[in-house]
Amino acid sequence: MRALIAAATGLALAFALAFAITLLGSTTGETSPKPLLTTVPAHP
Amino acid sequence: MRHRTGLILLALAVFFAALSPLLRWYVFPSVAKIPAGQYQDMVLEAKDATLLDYGTFTERKVSKVTIVQTLKGNVEASEKIEKTAGRDIVVWDGLSYVQGPDGEMVSKIPERYIFDAHTQEPVHATGEMVDGDPIRREGLEFKWPFLTEKRDYEYFDAQARVTAPIHYKGTQDFRGVEVYYFEQTIPWTEVPFPRTMPVEGITRETVAETGTTRWYTTVRKFWVEPVTGAPVYGEEIHKEELRGGTLLGDREKVTAFAGHVKMREDYIEHTVDMVKSQRLLVLLMTSYLPWGFLGLGVLLLALALYVEARGRRPGDPESSRASAPEPVSA
Repeated sequence: MRALIAAATGLALAFALAFAITLLGSTTGETSPKPLLTTVPAHP
Repeated sequence: MRHRTGLILLALAVFFAALSPLLRWYVFPSVAKIPAGQYQDMVLEAKDATLLDYGTFTERKVSKVTIVQTLKGNVEASEKIEKTAGRDIVVWDGLSYVQGPDGEMVSKIPERYIFDAHTQEPVHATGEMVDGDPIRREGLEFKWPFLTEKRDYEYFDAQARVTAPIHYKGTQDFRGVEVYYFEQTIPWTEVPFPRTMPVEGITRETVAETGTTRWYTTVRKFWVEPVTGAPVYGEEIHKEELRGGTLLGDREKVTAFAGHVKMREDYIEHTVDMVKSQRLLVLLMTSYLPWGFLGLGVLLLALALYVEARGRRPGDPESSRASAPEPVSA
């Protein structure tokens, strides 16, 4: 029984971490203030 | 299992073994996406090119034509489309600015490309356009999907506003990076004149009145890093002609542009470095970590069993109890 509880805890933690990573990874950011270029940049 | 250490090891074994497929098939598809606010520029050059002199409508040889391509993620526009689409969307506002050898503008073509942030499949929404003309884009443009396959894809040609296959032609090594080489040929096709012409007073409409038409052909080549789907290098053998009409007098056709367009060296180096670092991140999620976690899970499980087995020594009251025969009643 204790082995089953330990395995279930491991499984639950794995799912919790996976959900947390996907939530953290869904930030969108902002539109860059930089313009669409009409001059040749000197470097990247 | 009775020992605390064995139970902790078992929990960790299950944790890592479960995290392995979760990372590959749940986390990776969710987090691997093009950021909505991405900004990038690219400089391409065509050396010893042929260009049309719009003053005399004759072709001339020039030392260099430069194409500056900017892609800017429009976060507000993508959030607006996401509300109805119900998935992660990227809206790229792009500009292809072509400059002659003396710095004069040859053409500038704006574009709005709307696509799924995860798959790079086009998404159709108001505002999708090339040079102000509403279009319905099919196929890829600029970037391949993550984990690109060795097969032909459909690729959108912004000049001709058509989608045509881009063929997988083999795997190559490009500056230490394994890449898939793709090639697309657009045969001679009549294309619209740009809305912004290099000479003031000449517009798409005034040219159309003369009966002169614009034709274009290109061989488009991309070297794509397959893990990220990012092109690390690109070339185009590009030709444009003006044909017929009163603008050309008694000439049947004149070359408007002809050149072998290649990425500028510093941009190649920058792109290769950037793709190498992103490739590592994708490989971590699709290969290194899932396999590592699976191995760790198996190792921890073996360790948990070993700890448990060691704990069950002969003479141990619990193990003796477990192995003692049950009384049988007839």
